[in-house]
Amino acid sequence: MSDLLAARAQMGTSLAFHIVFSVLGVGLPLLLCIAEGLALYRKDTMWMMLTRRWTRAAVVLFVVGAVSGTIISFELGLLWPTYIKYSGAVIGLPFMLEGFAFFLEAIFFGLYLYGWERLSPLTHWLCSFPIWISGLASAWFIVSANSWMNTPAGFVFRHGQVTGIHPLQAMLNPSTPYETVHMILACYVATGFGVAAIYAVAMLRGKRGDYYRKGLLLAMTMGVIAIPLQIASGDFNARFLANAQPVKFAAMEAIFKTESGPPLRIGGLADPQTGQVYYALEIPHGDSLLVNFDLNSTIKGLDAYPRDDWPNPLPVHLSFDAMVGCGFFILFVALVFWFLYWRKEGIVPENRILLWGIVLTGPLAFLAVEFGWMVTELGRQPWVIYGVLRTKDAVTTAPGLDISFLAFSLIYVILATALIRLLLEVARSPLPKVEIPGQRQEPEIAGV
Amino acid sequence: MLSVAFIALSILWLGLIAYAVLGGADFGAGIWDLFAVGPMATHQRHLINHALGPVWEANHVWLIFLLVGLFTVFPSAFAILMVALFLPLTIVLVGIVLRGAAFMFRTYAADSTSPFARVWSRIFSTSSLITPFFLGAAAAAVASGRIRAVGGITHADLGSAWTTPFALTIGAMAVSLCATLAAVYLIVEARNANDNALAESYRLKALIAGAITAVLGALGIFLSPTQAPLLWQGMLAHAIPIVIITMLIGLATAYSLFARHYHTARVLIILESAFLLGTWGISQIPYLIPPDVTIDKAANTPEVIVTLLIATGIGMVFLLPSLYFLFSVFKRSYAVPERQKREAIPGKVSLE
Repeated sequence: MSDLLAARAQMGTSLAFHIVFSVLGVGLPLLLCIAEGLALYRKDTMWMMLTRRWTRAAVVLFVVGAVSGTIISFELGLLWPTYIKYSGAVIGLPFMLEGFAFFLEAIFFGLYLYGWERLSPLTHWLCSFPIWISGLASAWFIVSANSWMNTPAGFVFRHGQVTGIHPLQAMLNPSTPYETVHMILACYVATGFGVAAIYAVAMLRGKRGDYYRKGLLLAMTMGVIAIPLQIASGDFNARFLANAQPVKFAAMEAIFKTESGPPLRIGGLADPQTGQVYYALEIPHGDSLLVNFDLNSTIKGLDAYPRDDWPNPLPVHLSFDAMVGCGFFILFVALVFWFLYWRKEGIVPENRILLWGIVLTGPLAFLAVEFGWMVTELGRQPWVIYGVLRTKDAVTTAPGLDISFLAFSLIYVILATALIRLLLEVARSPLPKVEIPGQRQEPEIAGV
Repeated sequence: MLSVAFIALSILWLGLIAYAVLGGADFGAGIWDLFAVGPMATHQRHLINHALGPVWEANHVWLIFLLVGLFTVFPSAFAILMVALFLPLTIVLVGIVLRGAAFMFRTYAADSTSPFARVWSRIFSTSSLITPFFLGAAAAAVASGRIRAVGGITHADLGSAWTTPFALTIGAMAVSLCATLAAVYLIVEARNANDNALAESYRLKALIAGAITAVLGALGIFLSPTQAPLLWQGMLAHAIPIVIITMLIGLATAYSLFARHYHTARVLIILESAFLLGTWGISQIPYLIPPDVTIDKAANTPEVIVTLLIATGIGMVFLLPSLYFLFSVFKRSYAVPERQKREAIPGKVSLE
């Protein structure tokens, strides 16, 4: 395996692993905050039980997120020293701010997890706010750094040197508003439907009761608020990319030839060798209409750019369509759920087909996040900093990158195995008994 | 002399000291966990879990702070270090990752006697030993002046810089310093838990580990004229008073442990670590990576550094009170309730 390929494989594996936990690190604390708030406000033990149970899962997920994030911050330097030399100089600010946000998150997570007996119920609940707020801020900062890689700004690059650096301009580069909003919404979509899926599984296995209904309802509420916003945000992103990163856009939409009124190609294999798209479902003039609200507008294809600057359209196009497909399936399931909920006047629907649909939305929501990142990252190739630094020029000269890739892949397999085992233990253990000041109630004993 | 780059580096050095006295003690606790045998072993593990649980995650973030600070303020130097020290830093990274995950896996396993928990427990303690060793050796490789970067080009070092007798000595010293820090803290934790037998055992451990640290430190100084000449010359030129203060604090720490003034010992061992790292930093001036990279040459533009300093100031306004709150809730002297002493696993205490 070449050094470049090994380094890209290791980085890709690390990002794909870490993103799952960063998404939950942003989404779960908000669920905890709402559930605990409801428990205290309504003096409801059921909400408190959900809070306790989610906390136990959150701690495990948070730690794996922290260690896998540490891997990434090292890898940026260990694998891509030339990249970090430029990006450290220009876009270091959001990395540093993210460091502070992560610090606050870790501090209040420590207080939240271990402080049940040491803090008053109100103080404990208040500790959940800095957690979800700094999780949100972390996501914004890190994605603004990634936005900079896509639309670099705030510096002048001349003869291999960066000068005239404006850290704030770099952080607030043109992609930032689009990418950050899209990712933050993705966190709430994935967490919402991911948690909902777990309660749908429990209900399909015959578990019934207030505990499961409340868990499902809160998670679905989070998801259903986020998913339509997310689809709208995706639409804004695509139209932004058509201008800001037209090569990436052409690869996403599998457009090889510049033409007026190109069709919307759904699925299909875009072969960069032949310049053909095989087996795609084509909607005539669709792409033109979506981008410019005009049936016959001209959209630049990959042929408008040097062959050396092309990303591989095959995975980029398929990932893009897969992400959009997941998004619309989730939206459909959410709409059916809320339609039935409204029809039954506020009773959580327990239709088996619907529950199966919710079970599917969980993994699909996370897959959509993964596919979305593949579009962003593979679509930016062959550049690591778009138009400034090519990926092949950024890789380290250190030897043994294939061994490093194998070693870290092994670590991920081990971490994932141990994590799944622990989470299953959490799910199978009996529900916690909880007390809320001023209210006592014997909880039913079951699992999940 | 007092450029913004220098101010930024001083702040990073304070971050390094914070990581050493907080994160270092976490490593040290893991090292004692490795050596915990016999009838008191389970007891010791419980104490270690109890002491680390709420704070280890936050202690660990200092490293991220350092990493990010280094690549934003000194981007070109960071790139050189990452290439030259690829191998030891990769080992450090694996160690940090396994350690963090293993601590959580063993603490949260439903049955602490299961093979799952026992294997992760062993991974936790082994990686606690390996990580500071390679961190120390990598730092010594920098200090020894063996990482060359003429014109900003460097090559991965496969051992010629970080396996010298000097680097190995400093690596071992990092391990024993972590162990000493942890032992001193754990005396206080054990006494808070009203466990005098355990406190006495940690007092002995602190004295032994402290003595080993002193011997290795002396050996390091002895080796440096030949193996780290620039460091040695820098030390003679502008760090002699600090070296003497460091030695005196070391002696005072030993005395306070001997006389059982544990809270004083805790303050002194923190000061000792700060002075040790301070001596290194001051001896290295004006180099960041001797002999080819100076602080001023490697620094980002002053405007960017000023922005970063302002951002750090704003960050600290949020961070310091939060840290104070965390430690005041969990590290204030308190009598450990009976129930908690039996329940070793903090997260589970509230659930039973």
